[in-house]
Amino acid sequence: MQLKLISCEIFYRELCAAVSRSRNTVDIEFLPKGLHDIGCASMLARLQEVVDRVEEGKYEAVLLGYGLCNNGIVGLTARATPIVIPRAHDCITLFLGSRQRYFDYFNSHPGVFFKTTGWIERGDSRGELRQLSIQRRIGLDSSFEELVEKYGEDNARYLWDEMCDLGRNYRQLTFIEMGVEPDDRFERQTREEAASRGWDFERVKGDPSMIQRFVDGCWDEREFLIVRPGARVAPTYEDDIITLDQL
Amino acid sequence: MVDLTQLHDAILRGDAKKAVAVTREALAENASPTELVSKHMIPAMDEVGRRFECQEYFVPELLLSARAMKGALELIRPLLVEQGVASAGRVIIGTVKGDLHDIGKNLVASMLEGAGFEVIDLGTDVAPGKIVTEILERKPNIVALSALLTTTMPFMKSTIEELRKAGVREQVKVMVGGAPVTQQYAEQIGADGYSDNANGAVAIARKLVSG
Repeated sequence: MQLKLISCEIFYRELCAAVSRSRNTVDIEFLPKGLHDIGCASMLARLQEVVDRVEEGKYEAVLLGYGLCNNGIVGLTARATPIVIPRAHDCITLFLGSRQRYFDYFNSHPGVFFKTTGWIERGDSRGELRQLSIQRRIGLDSSFEELVEKYGEDNARYLWDEMCDLGRNYRQLTFIEMGVEPDDRFERQTREEAASRGWDFERVKGDPSMIQRFVDGCWDEREFLIVRPGARVAPTYEDDIITLDQL
Repeated sequence: MVDLTQLHDAILRGDAKKAVAVTREALAENASPTELVSKHMIPAMDEVGRRFECQEYFVPELLLSARAMKGALELIRPLLVEQGVASAGRVIIGTVKGDLHDIGKNLVASMLEGAGFEVIDLGTDVAPGKIVTEILERKPNIVALSALLTTTMPFMKSTIEELRKAGVREQVKVMVGGAPVTQQYAEQIGADGYSDNANGAVAIARKLVSG
């Protein structure tokens, strides 16, 4: 099969590895990490624009390398080519290999934040997307110095504790080892970050099999949603995560 | 006599020290606690809300004004209790099970307090059973639930189901919010109210207690 893969760059190494092993011919287009932070309407507009540029009749399907991602794929519409989307809240389902494993791990580790190669080496925190991010627009990613300048020392301290201190929201970093790492540099970096924040650290083995099934065309409907031409993506907020919203 | 427009302005500007100082002075001069709240402080917070709606104020300004309001209220509340003045309503608020995010929840809690509600904050990662227990003990008018992640949103639904099973669903109004939550989802799970921002949450809470 000839497939077009449009994906968040968070999966860069994993998808390149999976595509290299696939019998399918897959053209990959990576989009910058951080679309999930610019608001669902803006994220959808960007994804739809890329999907709409796909040459008609050239591919059997468009693979969308995204989860529900803060509702950023809600409303995405398939044009002439069907779109295949993993049933996932976010990328962690694909890294761990199933949404059940993600669900179990997430529920037994409240306050966990995950790291993979993509989470560490991808995304430009000073680029255009950061300026557009909701966090930036409502002031959540201000530096302490910026707050002092704008609101004075006492208020800045209060705002910093209330808005910018992630320590309350997270308590563990988990590194997911996907088998695409050149050495232990990414794990080491995660371990160091956890230590510096005073959070727990754990390394777990990832499972690239769902990513492989994605690019190989093994699209069981319990694992992937196929959006037929003219149909549109809707969230269910149930176990199946996404469904079709008929036009 | 202390100029009470200073109290209004201190809250509007988010100047907690000034708000507390003016309140202390006014109380020493035997100002009426209920008048301080209803004529100066709540109108100031309403103006803060209006500016937020018009995008003249953003989250930091809301937080600072709510903090100033809270500081002044701490001095006044014991007097209100003494005089038997009822709050605008009692609210139990928390972030649902599995979710430790609390910026939005705290902001809503502060804004509700600023609007004269009595707020009981259960914190984050709150299990449905805990909410049932609190409803039975504290008899709130409203339960407010927050979630930041689509992974934890389903716990809003299971919390409402748990309230129903425990037979307390009809005793409270349930309002929900958080970045991924929508009006449609609120309706889907049978919540009574939804807002996509902290100022709107105050309006919804007022509507829920009056209806």
